[in-house]
Amino acid sequence: MEKNPAIVDLHQVDTIYEGEKIPVIHDINLTVKKNDFLSIIGPNGAGKTTLLETINGILSYTAGKGKVFGKQIKKHKNSIRKHTGYVIQNFEIEPRAPFLCKDVVMSGRSGKIGLLRFPTKKDWDIVWKSMGLVGMIDYANRAVGKLSGGEFQKILLARALAQEPDLLLLDEPFSNLDFSARNQIEILLNRVHDQYKTTIVMVSHDLTFLPTRCNRLIVMDKGSIVMDDTKDNVLQSDLVHSLFPKGGKQ
Amino acid sequence: MTTLPLFFLLPSILGAVLAGFVCSTMGTFVVRMNLSSIGYCMSHAAFAGAAFGILISIDPMISAVLFAFATALVLGPLSEKARLESNVVIGFLFSVMIALGFIFLSLKPGEAATGRALSILWGSLFSVNYDNVLLLSLLSFALLVFVIVFYKELVAVMFHRKLAESAGINTKMFYFAVLFFTGFAVALSLKLVGGLLVFALIVNPTSTAYQFFYDFKKIMIISPVIGILSCLLGFYLSLIADFPIGAAIVIVSATGFAVSLIVSPKRKKGFFLKSKQKLDSSYK
Repeated sequence: MEKNPAIVDLHQVDTIYEGEKIPVIHDINLTVKKNDFLSIIGPNGAGKTTLLETINGILSYTAGKGKVFGKQIKKHKNSIRKHTGYVIQNFEIEPRAPFLCKDVVMSGRSGKIGLLRFPTKKDWDIVWKSMGLVGMIDYANRAVGKLSGGEFQKILLARALAQEPDLLLLDEPFSNLDFSARNQIEILLNRVHDQYKTTIVMVSHDLTFLPTRCNRLIVMDKGSIVMDDTKDNVLQSDLVHSLFPKGGKQ
Repeated sequence: MTTLPLFFLLPSILGAVLAGFVCSTMGTFVVRMNLSSIGYCMSHAAFAGAAFGILISIDPMISAVLFAFATALVLGPLSEKARLESNVVIGFLFSVMIALGFIFLSLKPGEAATGRALSILWGSLFSVNYDNVLLLSLLSFALLVFVIVFYKELVAVMFHRKLAESAGINTKMFYFAVLFFTGFAVALSLKLVGGLLVFALIVNPTSTAYQFFYDFKKIMIISPVIGILSCLLGFYLSLIADFPIGAAIVIVSATGFAVSLIVSPKRKKGFFLKSKQKLDSSYK
């Protein structure tokens, strides 16, 4: 048996949006091992979000083979998702949204608890633990619509952590955040990766803000992976300088 | 004021309570999912169905349920699959349904302007019988079980459908379930409130509850209470002023909503600022 099995294994994968002919991502070959922390970088429209949503099966691939946790994505997407946390890009909540923070965090566990089962004390303990981890335990009974951008991002992260995920997919987790909030989220991600050995795949188009524990970068352009190397090698490459002429600042 | 013995009014009173419950419970989902127009379309499908029932001389409620059910069947996949603006699909179905309703009524000579036919449009105080009450009771029970058993999934889907899906919830199933329950709620409330106005009973009580609470659970509890009160007060208004029952219920629920907009703590100027300051000071 392999010592460190692949958590994500994509082989020549194409994803085409329904009703379109040209694949948004094509010929994707990607292997992510347990406890990897990698960032997918690339300019807008490179297909980074499509790749994330192909991994958790929200978008179905139209060619190639895809496995997560050794299971075929197409056949087992619901089971895969129960072990995969996802933080969505640029999610702005309306100020009057009728949800309390604790319920939003619990909603991350709903799939894992399963149909016809009620949340137990253990489930609530995990919710409190996740909220404590992101430093939002005192906000449990507050409305999500009243939170600042950074606070809301932490709640979304707590929601994903409440799943106790083996794989964490983060789509632009630092977007719309000020410097201090970015620092807090970065510390948090480093801690989750270190303490829980969670595999993290993060999308970013800001090269100036990559977590210190992120050790591998995947560069995407026009739907393809054009480079896959260590963080240092990628950041020093000519390719990255041509794709990010302004140094990758947002 | 019309003076009538209680036993004569009892089915209508029970019908009003149950219609208020089912419609405004579904309203919590319909309003949150921005499906207001879909419910509007469904109420007119139920109207067309009832008119069809009159045309072929069967119980209009049976055909109303079938039409609303069929619309739920078509609307779900159509709004999921068709690459058309949802408003275009809904506008199309809505206009087809109301056109069908009028055609069915006109095909039955002498029926178009009768009280029986018109009661489908704006409801009737005395058209509710114990059979209707039984059906509404069964629907209320099924809805209650659905909400209690699947509450955690419903909260997840209402918060954000894609995130719920990413957590392993079959969101399509819950989306269709909401459509089906809305179809049934509309069809079974048609006799009392009428096809043209039943939808207000779905939207108004929930919209009122939304003005006061940030907790979805509280909205799920208060919305049906407002719905039931609207129906009972509308019922009373209909009796004392001789208004059509549907119109009276809508006027009461719409007044409630208008008042809620004025007194809503969520809309008070500086509310967010004050609550933020209060929170900040509590952490110093």
